Amino acid sequence: MKKSEQRDLFPGALEMMILRTLKRQPLHGYALVQHIKRTSNDLLQIEEGSLYPALQRLLKEELVKAEWAVSSTNRRVRIYRLTAAGAKHLEHEVSRFEKMLEGITRVLARGES
Amino acid sequence: MNWFKQLFSRRRLYDDLSAEIQAHIEEKADELVTSGMPRKEATAAARREFGNVTLMAEDSRAVWQWPSIESFFADVRYGARMLRRNPSATAVMVFTLALAIGATTAIFSVVYGVLVRPLPYADSSRIMAVFEVSSNGGWSHLADPNFDDFRDQNRSFQTMAKYNSDVVSVSGASQPSRTMVSSVSPDFLKVLGIQPILGRDFTASDAKKGAGPTVLVSYGYWRQQLGSPPDLSQSHLKIDGAVFSVIGVLPAAFRFPPDVDLWLPADLNGENPSRTSHNYFALGRLRDGVTVEQANRDISTIARRIHDTSSEQGDYLLKDGIVIPLQDSITGKARSALLVLLGAVGFLLLVACANVANLLLAQASVRERELAIRSALGAARGRLIRQFLTEAFLLSLAGGGLGVLGAFWGLAGLVALAPGNLPRLDSVSISIPVLGFALLLSTAVAAGLGVFTAARATSGDLREGLVEGGRGQAGSQGSQRVGRAIVAAQIAITLVLVVGAGLLGRSLVKVLEVNPGFRVDKIVTMDVALPWVEDPKAKASQAIFFSNLIDRLKQIPGVRNVGATSGLPMNEDGGLPDGMFLLMTQNEVPKTMDALGPLLQQKELLGSADFCVATDGYFRVLGIPLIRGRIFDERDGADSPHVAVISASLARDRWPNQDPIGHTIDFGNMDGDLRLLTIVGIVGDIHEYGLDAPPRPTVYVNLFQRPRSAITVTMLSDAGTQLVTSAARGILQDLNPEIPARFRTLSQVYSASLGSRRFNVILIGFFGVVALLLATTGVFGVMAYSVSRRTREIGVRVALGAGSGDVLRMILSQGLRTIFIGVAIGIAGSLALTRTIESLLFGVTATDPLTFGGVTLLLVGAALLACYMPARRAMRVDPMVALRYE
Repeated sequence: MKKSEQRDLFPGALEMMILRTLKRQPLHGYALVQHIKRTSNDLLQIEEGSLYPALQRLLKEELVKAEWAVSSTNRRVRIYRLTAAGAKHLEHEVSRFEKMLEGITRVLARGES
Repeated sequence: MNWFKQLFSRRRLYDDLSAEIQAHIEEKADELVTSGMPRKEATAAARREFGNVTLMAEDSRAVWQWPSIESFFADVRYGARMLRRNPSATAVMVFTLALAIGATTAIFSVVYGVLVRPLPYADSSRIMAVFEVSSNGGWSHLADPNFDDFRDQNRSFQTMAKYNSDVVSVSGASQPSRTMVSSVSPDFLKVLGIQPILGRDFTASDAKKGAGPTVLVSYGYWRQQLGSPPDLSQSHLKIDGAVFSVIGVLPAAFRFPPDVDLWLPADLNGENPSRTSHNYFALGRLRDGVTVEQANRDISTIARRIHDTSSEQGDYLLKDGIVIPLQDSITGKARSALLVLLGAVGFLLLVACANVANLLLAQASVRERELAIRSALGAARGRLIRQFLTEAFLLSLAGGGLGVLGAFWGLAGLVALAPGNLPRLDSVSISIPVLGFALLLSTAVAAGLGVFTAARATSGDLREGLVEGGRGQAGSQGSQRVGRAIVAAQIAITLVLVVGAGLLGRSLVKVLEVNPGFRVDKIVTMDVALPWVEDPKAKASQAIFFSNLIDRLKQIPGVRNVGATSGLPMNEDGGLPDGMFLLMTQNEVPKTMDALGPLLQQKELLGSADFCVATDGYFRVLGIPLIRGRIFDERDGADSPHVAVISASLARDRWPNQDPIGHTIDFGNMDGDLRLLTIVGIVGDIHEYGLDAPPRPTVYVNLFQRPRSAITVTMLSDAGTQLVTSAARGILQDLNPEIPARFRTLSQVYSASLGSRRFNVILIGFFGVVALLLATTGVFGVMAYSVSRRTREIGVRVALGAGSGDVLRMILSQGLRTIFIGVAIGIAGSLALTRTIESLLFGVTATDPLTFGGVTLLLVGAALLACYMPARRAMRVDPMVALRYE
């Protein structure tokens, strides 16, 4: 049984996307993964399960917090919410990512010409 | 959230997590159902999209854990569960390891205590023993002037001292006793770095000729015999008739030379001027920066100078000198035998590990499916290997723990069994380094077993285990080959061990077949010593005392005969002195001892023999046969011409083709009495230094003509030892209440002389038997396993017409191949290794064909029996049952 042929995300990418999504609104796990999939136009094939280890890491570092609530579909779900530390961390990570992306883009552009 | 709180809230975290994942999958499924998918398909699709639930949950939980430690504990829990699931196999493995690790630890504790543990003295590696090297290359004690030259001329030692030890009569303490004393030069304690805990050390003036006699006492003697007086000024001891002042008490643990209670200054009567009277051991403490080699060269130079310039040329003058660490000189003789024991027990350990490895391997192949599932669920190979390592650690730590407990118990037995001449037995214990060794050993065993089984079990593609429906044929073929290789190695090692045990055992039998030359049973011996005297008149009166004593002892009911000797044969305390005698006639006899020296240069006059003082009764009591002439009788009074009886080997060697009876010799070199001895009889040889040493040429002189102060009385008696002992003690007390005695039976002395040989045979024999049992069960295990694996194949063969004989042949031939490979390697290994025990053998060669043949037959027989039982089961395989079995 081999892992599906998805393209691996770089380390921290999933966390960043989770934080960004949660910044907009608190969500529970299932909604979170559906949102990420939908927003990325299904370009990012992530295994739904892989969300949970990432969420646990964020919980442990206290970048998000979770509480049990009842959803609109009348289901007991755990709602994740961004903390202040989480927001700060997101900002930091995003700016770091943008710098990295810029660098990569420049190299790729130079290679083409 | 700190880690402490985490630890307790984790249960909740985990529950939340599983609830959440469950809810996720349900929500997904619900959604799919809403979009028109049937419920069953929807659930499966939801799970598929989610990914590996177990792995995700595990990864999520891992976030909260200390990964390495916690997965280790998980491995331990799991491993313990696996081991519990198969309790009999686990018990066998733990017990096997406990036995092997326990035995190895016990033997190591002896080796460590005797050979490795430093002597209990400050900077003990700097303390050296110094010996003279004699003309035949042997090492001997030092003569006084030689020691003085070494001490005064060397540039290697800070201090040097000489010492010897002897048993003497001591009175003045709580009761008269035969006590070990050591005569030492004044610097003795300084060399060892020991100081009295009470009183003072010797000074140079204590050792001056004519100084007031002084003595140092051991802590135990001070407490038990003197009653621990804090003030020593009133403590006096009568040692060999002279009164000594107690000046100091030595530390509690200090007993060197071994068993000594009193230390006296040497040479209170002046030194012995002879360079060929070797009376003292010597030791010295190296100067800083001087190596053993430098000290050796230094002493050697001085020794050669003495050799070249001495007027006492001859075989007894030193040729060279040698320096070795004191520790080596103490343990030298025990070394090879102990290392052989350690090697033997190491072999046992290997055989035991092989058995456990085979059991683990069999279990691992049963677990192929479990491994396949775990690996399919995402367990990395490293994780699986760690699982095996953990299990091996559990096993060998349990085995090691039990083994150490066993070693405590085994060591007590070992020490009780150990021969009396094994040095430093008091420093043998299960100490911290020994425990460290046991732990290290268990760890090494665990690592070896774990890596081995893990490598075997996780090699190849584990998923095949699933594909093949759990039979895992491909993997098991390989593991069976390895299993057989292990068994072959086991057989080889066992063969070496049993051959070694066989050779030693046959040596013991050969030794016991040797006729000692004297009677051993029914003889009670009594060591008696009067104060040492020099005056001939005093000596004569001591002879009369002994004569009275012997006459009185003869009256004890049941005592048939009584004799006396200056030294019992096979006595561990040391044998008879040996020296040079001169063949001469009356008018050649020198007038003074000094005139003797030049005569000793004339080779054609010389003879060499042990010197024994005895009475006629001694020959009768020990049953030493008279070959020709006569033994001592009433004619040989103190004033009659002195006579000698010689041993047959001396007669043969010194008077070949002649009759020695009637010849006269001078042995004044030995006891200072220059009167001629006329040879009147020849008696049989006796094995004085043990059954495995050849008899020594011996000259016997008559106690009543050549009196001495210390003798051993021998009593041949039909009455019980207790009875004779108490009667003899009463008689001695009656004659002189101040004289102590020590009683033994000759069979005790005889049996002690065989002690080290018996010790080796018992231990190596025990290891050999255990290894044989282990190897046999190893063969049985592998064959039984192979048969059970091949049940279907055998069923097919039988169905196709193979007779039960064919099946038996097939199984046995498979086993035989393994056995023969093992035996061949074992024989080759034995041929190479038995040479190392050659010095312990007697009457057999290291390649004794009888032992090799016998052991090979025994081993092949046992292994075949172990093959036969599974083979019989194979023979009875019912083809129908076997084919349905799947």
